[in-house]
Amino acid sequence: MEGTASPRSEPSQDPSAAAGERRTRLAHFLAPAAGASAVEITSLSPLRGGAIQENWAVDASFRDGPLAGSQQLVLRTTAQTGVTASLSRIEEFAVLKAAFDAGVTVPEPLFATDDEAVFGKPFFIMRRVKGIAAAHRITRDPALDPALPALAERLGRELARIHTIRPPRHDLAFLPAPDEVGPARQVAAFRAYLNKHATPRPVLEWGIHWLETHFPTPVAPVLCHHDFRTGNYMLEGPELTGILDWEFAGWGDPFEDIGWFCSKGWRFARLDREAGGIAERAAFYAGYERESGRPLDPRRVFFWEVLAGVRWAVIALEQSDRYMIGGERNLDLALTGRRASECELEILMMLDPSGVPADG
Amino acid sequence: MGDLPTAPALLALARDVLLTELLPLLPQEAHLDARLVANGMAIAEREATVGNEPHAAILRELRRLYSDHPQADPAQNGEVEVETEEFGLLRRFAQDLRSGAFDRSEPHSRRARDILWQLTIVRLRLANPRFLNANGFS
Repeated sequence: MEGTASPRSEPSQDPSAAAGERRTRLAHFLAPAAGASAVEITSLSPLRGGAIQENWAVDASFRDGPLAGSQQLVLRTTAQTGVTASLSRIEEFAVLKAAFDAGVTVPEPLFATDDEAVFGKPFFIMRRVKGIAAAHRITRDPALDPALPALAERLGRELARIHTIRPPRHDLAFLPAPDEVGPARQVAAFRAYLNKHATPRPVLEWGIHWLETHFPTPVAPVLCHHDFRTGNYMLEGPELTGILDWEFAGWGDPFEDIGWFCSKGWRFARLDREAGGIAERAAFYAGYERESGRPLDPRRVFFWEVLAGVRWAVIALEQSDRYMIGGERNLDLALTGRRASECELEILMMLDPSGVPADG
Repeated sequence: MGDLPTAPALLALARDVLLTELLPLLPQEAHLDARLVANGMAIAEREATVGNEPHAAILRELRRLYSDHPQADPAQNGEVEVETEEFGLLRRFAQDLRSGAFDRSEPHSRRARDILWQLTIVRLRLANPRFLNANGFS
């Protein structure tokens, strides 16, 4: 979701009185992990924007070892309010490592620990990549426009590289088995959510009914990012510097990521640019097809794009529940529930194009 | 009759003060929150302006859809009854859509989809009219 954790904005100073002690503990963890005789933390400050995860900018000086010198890092840990569907930080670290090893452009994962004595919660450390991830800026900035088709092509190639990671994988054994995921499971989960939701959502029910009557034939599962979209990658100027936010990764249908990337909910300021608000689909598809060597079936993409609309709507309602039911005093979360109707409009436009009201 | 200015007028004025007078005085890191506050006020203002009529219109359509198979007495006068009846019919409608109850009859299915459009457009006129416009709806 927009605003989820990532090293994407300027740090502000940590006001905590315990900050010095925290730095010392972190330095004591990093030194042996990095094979250094000493590490000094020169700066430790929270990064804004973590609704689900919490990120800290870490500037560290390593006396020796492979990281000798000054390093700009990010410490990623879980925010106070966890979301049930997300991986643990240790698991996310393993996924990030698999992606890095597969040649995907990601911040290099370095160390992880579940020892809560270091930072109070399990965390992992990765390199800090430069740039911005702010989707509204990326989709609005006219200076970026000429570079965006090439970026879409590059993102298509990156996604195809993610999808080269396939089960079985010993290092990813914690991921639910491929036969435990898939659209039927998702449909069941959407309905289970709607069963307990306070307000009936007829459009979602109708969209979900369409999904269950149009399941695509299964294909060999791959590693899906499950939140691959504009807002979850970093750009320095027009250059891609890292794909972020791997907390929802898991085995699935490769078309799921393509549908999610193209769905209207993730086009931000440019609804007309169907590939993530940055370009025509053709550029993104071409990159994917070139890298994977497989043609994309638009009918499969269509199915997953409808599912993306339902999924985004359910997430929006869940975010609102954090205020309505969970009591979190957060206006952004409270307002997000209203966005479910945007997804419902898109579901109607996709599935009932001839039914658009005459006065609409 | 309530006092004046009306609730929508007060909200509009308060929002204008927030955006034109207070926002420039706030530090940059507080601007996003201030804009969220303004957005929340705009939704509340639109809801206070239109009142219950859009929901009553949906309710009329649902009653018409289910006129052959009434499950409950029509609503009495008053907002509470309308809300309760609308909720009950919406829940029934949602359950029927889940089970595909309208699939066998195209005219019935068409009427159901018309209500879905109406419901969605009503909600978006309140929550995000700009999104509606950006998608070609007035």
